[in-house]
Amino acid sequence: MQFLHLFSAIHPLLGVAEPIIKQSQDAGRAIALGVGAGGGAAGAGAGIGAVFNASIQAKTRQPELRAEIERDQWLGFALTEATFFYGLVGGFIAFFL
Amino acid sequence: MSAVAGAPPIAPRMEAHPPHPSGPSQEQGMSQGRKVLYWFLGIWLGGIALFVILFGVTAHKAPAVASDVFSPTNEFKLDTWFKLGPVALNKGVLYLLITAGITIGVMFYISRHLQQRRPGRLQVAVETFYSFILGMSRENLNDDMERKYFPLIATIFVFILVSNLIGYIPLPIDSGETFRLLGANIPSFQIYAADTNVAFPLILSLGVFCLFTYEGVKHHGPIGYLKSLMPGGVKGPIVLLIFPIEILSNFLRLISLTVRLWANLLAGHMLIAFMGGELGVLVGLQLVSWFLLPAGVLIFIFEAVLIAGLQAFIFAILTAIYLGGAVESH
Repeated sequence: MQFLHLFSAIHPLLGVAEPIIKQSQDAGRAIALGVGAGGGAAGAGAGIGAVFNASIQAKTRQPELRAEIERDQWLGFALTEATFFYGLVGGFIAFFL
Repeated sequence: MSAVAGAPPIAPRMEAHPPHPSGPSQEQGMSQGRKVLYWFLGIWLGGIALFVILFGVTAHKAPAVASDVFSPTNEFKLDTWFKLGPVALNKGVLYLLITAGITIGVMFYISRHLQQRRPGRLQVAVETFYSFILGMSRENLNDDMERKYFPLIATIFVFILVSNLIGYIPLPIDSGETFRLLGANIPSFQIYAADTNVAFPLILSLGVFCLFTYEGVKHHGPIGYLKSLMPGGVKGPIVLLIFPIEILSNFLRLISLTVRLWANLLAGHMLIAFMGGELGVLVGLQLVSWFLLPAGVLIFIFEAVLIAGLQAFIFAILTAIYLGGAVESH
């Protein structure tokens, strides 16, 4: 076990490295929150746009199917919108836990 | 053809719209609304100026925030209040009990007091729900399954809806932060929903998952059920590739059902908290809280009006679709 004494030689280095590690952890958390929320919002935005685009086109082509199209539109909206919250919750978990 | 035939009457109606008698009153309403809007804008801008004058723009973090004692996730921690045998009562359990009480109470009350001549508002609302869910389950399930599972789907819908909606009413349940009133420690008011705890949606979707697997196995037999997971017409060695993917996607239904409800409510409540003032506390700048308050109100309205109902609807219709898909041969 004598070789463990070698570690005492680099111990001052560890003391220097500690705040750097802490700061880089904080930075990583902030990046996780930013990427989770931002990427989630971008993807969900594009998806929701596509859903409403298709719904408007379908309604103008077939106005008599309006009720059914709107029901499916809200289904698609909710399924797409949930993906934003997946990203956001992932970011929150990384940031706060 | 019908769209073309329907086109001519639309044009005169649109032309006839401007001279409608509501013209002047609509003008009045517009200016009234605009006046109120300007008032709110003025109060908001004035508030920003007041906050800058009173507190300045330098950040003063509260001691609890600066020392990392305060965390926004504490809001969702479950403190055990007391134990009844194996059941530990905390705020999540309390919310579930309230939800179950409201759901059962309203439904029993309505079914006991059905009126044919003059239905009350509540009865009309419940009947609308009933016919809506009945139509939904008729579309996705065959007759036998619909008779069997319509009560389950309707119950899931109403239960999740009530659970979401009472999540937007502030109730005195935050035992982490108390205030003193007349010598008693009162838990402070908090917006909490049982859905923000992952256990609640997980148990619901686990029940649904077991149910549609059971129905599928009963209908097709164990081997036939596994075969029914495959899309029709897949032959040859590609089966080895497709089959694990289909099994995986079957289990992903469980996860997506759970996480959709949980993440929507959790992120919604966190966003309301952040925009409604918590961000200012974390940053240590009172100005930020006031600045973001309108966004908080808007998100609250969006969540309470749209998301609460929509998530209940999604859960119920996906239950119906999965149950219908389990017994369908393709």
